[in-house]
Amino acid sequence: MEQDAQLVQQCLQGDGSAWEELVRRHTRRIFNICYRFTGNGTDAEDLSQDVFLRVYKTLGSYRSAHGGFATWMTSVTRNLLIDHYRRTKRDRVTDSLEDAMPVVENKEAFGRRPDQLALLGELSSQVQTALTKLSPELREAVILRDLQQLEYNEIREVLDVPEGTVKSRINRGRIELARVLQQMGVRPS
Amino acid sequence: MNWNCEQIEARLSDYLDGLMDAAEKRDYDLHVKSCAQCAPLVASVSHAVSTMHALEPVAIPPRLVYGILNQTLGPREKTKGVRGAFDLLGSLFTARFAYGVISVAATLVVVLAASGFSFRKPKLADLSPVNVYHNADRFAHIAYARSTKFVTDLRVVYEIQSRLSKDSDLPTDQEGTIPQPAPGKNPGSTDNDKPGSPKQQNRANGLRREVEVLAALMPAMNGNMAAQLMGRSIR
Repeated sequence: MEQDAQLVQQCLQGDGSAWEELVRRHTRRIFNICYRFTGNGTDAEDLSQDVFLRVYKTLGSYRSAHGGFATWMTSVTRNLLIDHYRRTKRDRVTDSLEDAMPVVENKEAFGRRPDQLALLGELSSQVQTALTKLSPELREAVILRDLQQLEYNEIREVLDVPEGTVKSRINRGRIELARVLQQMGVRPS
Repeated sequence: MNWNCEQIEARLSDYLDGLMDAAEKRDYDLHVKSCAQCAPLVASVSHAVSTMHALEPVAIPPRLVYGILNQTLGPREKTKGVRGAFDLLGSLFTARFAYGVISVAATLVVVLAASGFSFRKPKLADLSPVNVYHNADRFAHIAYARSTKFVTDLRVVYEIQSRLSKDSDLPTDQEGTIPQPAPGKNPGSTDNDKPGSPKQQNRANGLRREVEVLAALMPAMNGNMAAQLMGRSIR
């Protein structure tokens, strides 16, 4: 991700197009993390904007020697998500997704058969519902590992916890997720 | 190494992520296959993980990128002058826009052709509403008359063809044309053993009627010819 570091340097020199490029490169990933964590499209959109606003303001504090820009940005995202979780904890009576804004599945899904698309859409919403039943520690670990496909050391950097804790959270998160999915009637065929 | 169920659960992610060496994996599999408690656990977690890996990323809301750029860089200025015009033209050259233009143009051509507009010698007068109405009315009547004529022609051809084929089906042998009643049976009565005989009689009667109709319909045919034909069919 040397290109990211280069773009950051250009941004710091006042190049607006470099910032625009950074935004376009990372918006989808950041929005997906926010959406999978909150389970709500509107919240995910607002949080994504907050993430980029904070990154823009603190861009000068990023040091490429300390890790990749994407990892740093994910770390900022995670902190904002936890803040959001704590802030809205009192407002949440349940983890229901009834008020969630419908979000369109990726256009890469074109080319699949309608029955496959329907099955994927149903699975996606079931997994989303199951994820919101997990505690935030387990949820973020599972999202970063299984949906964002990050390596253990990257997750350790993002969460700022020892690697053993990362492994333990991912393991417990997966087992808990499988249990919730089974309760929802989603079983291995 | 002998694994117990707690160890199986604790190392489940290492197993699924392929972080075990061959010996560990073999012993792990050995336990899972023989344990009624661990086998469904491993299957369900494996299914959950593979389900998450198969999920597509969700699409971002269309205005999100612009919202972020507006919040960080400020409201975006519209490009003006020649560059702005080129940007606008560039945004028009999309596949959807091209399909739209083509379909509208095709519709216009069809409508103009139906209203009698001549593309070879275009005249402004052809586009006046009165002329368009008269031309469209004329074309509609012509099209209706042509279609009616076509259907009538088809019907005549079909009738002639069917009569000729019936005529050629007739046996040339005179005796074959006259149905002989079966011994012990009255003429015209049905016979379950030979159902074809009454049908032959009916066909001969029908042919006679058809020749009579044909003679009445075709005055050019002189009486002799009609009489000959009728005589042939009666015999």
